[in-house]
Amino acid sequence: MINYILNLLTLATIYSIAAASLNVLVGYAGIFSIAHAIFFGLGAYAGAQFALLIVPDVLLASLIGAVVSGALSLLLALPALRVRGEYFVAAGLGLQMVGITIFSEAHSLTGGHGGLVGIPAATLFGFDVSSPGAFLIVCLVALLLSLAVIQILMRSSFGRALMSIRDNESAAESFGKNVPLLKTLAMVVGCAIVGVAGTLFAFNLAFINVESFTLEQSILMLAMVVIGGVGTLSGPLIGAVFLLILPAILTFIPFIPPTEIGTVQQFIYGSLMAVLMIFKPSGIAGKTGGK
Amino acid sequence: MLFLQLLASGIQTGILYALTAAGFALIFGATKIFHVAHGATFVIAGYAFYECIQLGMWWPWATLVSFVMAILAGILMAVFIYRPIQRSEGSFFTVFVAAFGVSIAVQSLIQYFFGRGSVTVSSSLTMASEVIEGLYLAPILAVAIGVSIVLFGLVVLFLEKKNAGLGLRALSENPGLLEAFGLNAKNLTVLAFVIGSALVVPAAILTSISIGIQPSSGSKVMLISLAATIVGGIGSLKGAALAGLFLGIIENLVITVVDTQWSEAVSFFILFAFIMFRPSGLFGASVKR
Repeated sequence: MINYILNLLTLATIYSIAAASLNVLVGYAGIFSIAHAIFFGLGAYAGAQFALLIVPDVLLASLIGAVVSGALSLLLALPALRVRGEYFVAAGLGLQMVGITIFSEAHSLTGGHGGLVGIPAATLFGFDVSSPGAFLIVCLVALLLSLAVIQILMRSSFGRALMSIRDNESAAESFGKNVPLLKTLAMVVGCAIVGVAGTLFAFNLAFINVESFTLEQSILMLAMVVIGGVGTLSGPLIGAVFLLILPAILTFIPFIPPTEIGTVQQFIYGSLMAVLMIFKPSGIAGKTGGK
Repeated sequence: MLFLQLLASGIQTGILYALTAAGFALIFGATKIFHVAHGATFVIAGYAFYECIQLGMWWPWATLVSFVMAILAGILMAVFIYRPIQRSEGSFFTVFVAAFGVSIAVQSLIQYFFGRGSVTVSSSLTMASEVIEGLYLAPILAVAIGVSIVLFGLVVLFLEKKNAGLGLRALSENPGLLEAFGLNAKNLTVLAFVIGSALVVPAAILTSISIGIQPSSGSKVMLISLAATIVGGIGSLKGAALAGLFLGIIENLVITVVDTQWSEAVSFFILFAFIMFRPSGLFGASVKR
């Protein structure tokens, strides 16, 4: 039981990192990425391969995950610079669908549908940190570091410039902001952080396959950010905890058959997304009365 | 012969895509609402038809029920989801998330009541026979072609000849001016949703007869409609329909060159390429960056 709770907390922490990183794109830069699970996956595969082939060090593997994911984020940065609004959403969808096919077909790198199995137990500077408690602490530290990075960046002139682009791109450009560069940087930062989350995810389960990186997962992350509150520091955390604890609570409700829990959970978060957008588009942690 | 066989099934898939894409494009063109819950309408229509047939209804009545349900779904979305959001000047983002939420909720509701698996309405229309050596065709292909031509004809006639059709086109150009001339933008928005939602019904019914429909079919339909609308050029009904047909045919023909698993990705690869190099699509006006 205690392991179950620790594991749930670890998962919530990992998804909090992912949601916080997506918030950099959606909330601060106004880049409405719907392919975030792909970058989560890239981090997971890269980190897992590093652990399998070289050394299962969490820190090094996470860095590799961040680098791979951050570098490949340029794929999505390209359309982000050319188009916006619905066109960019469509481009994100395109990338998500093509990406998932590549994940399931590139057997030598990702293990295909079978996935990568037997990811070794995590170590840190040679110490074993794979016990549930220790790994939770590792994840929490990663979360705190990510939040610190995001907070520092968003308080800096970089963050303010990003938000000015989000609010009015033309105005920001006319004030001499280098819009393409800023957007690309935001993209790299967000995707690198989610790469770390992906690596931690791979270590936590010791097994990854394409199921964890589908469009549904991208939507789940988006739902965490939106339900929690776009553009706030605490919002994504609230959203992540809320959406992960929810199914856990549902398992204790007697009249829902266990096989339908996923369905009921989907229904709840789908309806929540719709209802919140109508009555409180700024999310749970958002400022009231905001547009 | 494999080529012809694949072309035939490509045309059949393409017609379904063309119908759903045209509905999506009509709604988006007239109201600027990115109706992501279009796929939900599709699933509702398909399951309504299936349930009626299960209950022993004669198929024309089942079709009627399916139309009513789809149109109702469209109207409810327009009035209870999009209108309140637009009233508070919600951004594109807000509308998108709300619509996505609705489609997730609808999908899970249907999953809850009908199960995850696909359901099929059996019909003699799908009995394939050998037309020429090695080429098997089912009558449903002819039905699909006939129905889609009639429907497109009706919609085009409506948009060109009727006042309301003119109003819809005016709505896409300048809603403010439209109101100034005393036309009601709200009613026209609902009208766009009625026609757009009705267009998915034949596609949903044909799908439930030919390959079967499942709760997750909705998101596939939505993605393809979206892709076709952009590849065809936003604002162009003809473009969306042709692009839908084109994507359906490509998806099938590409099997001759690559593995089956890649066939779906090809559509999205095309979409990605269009957004990068020709965001205005095949028939659209040029877009501002």
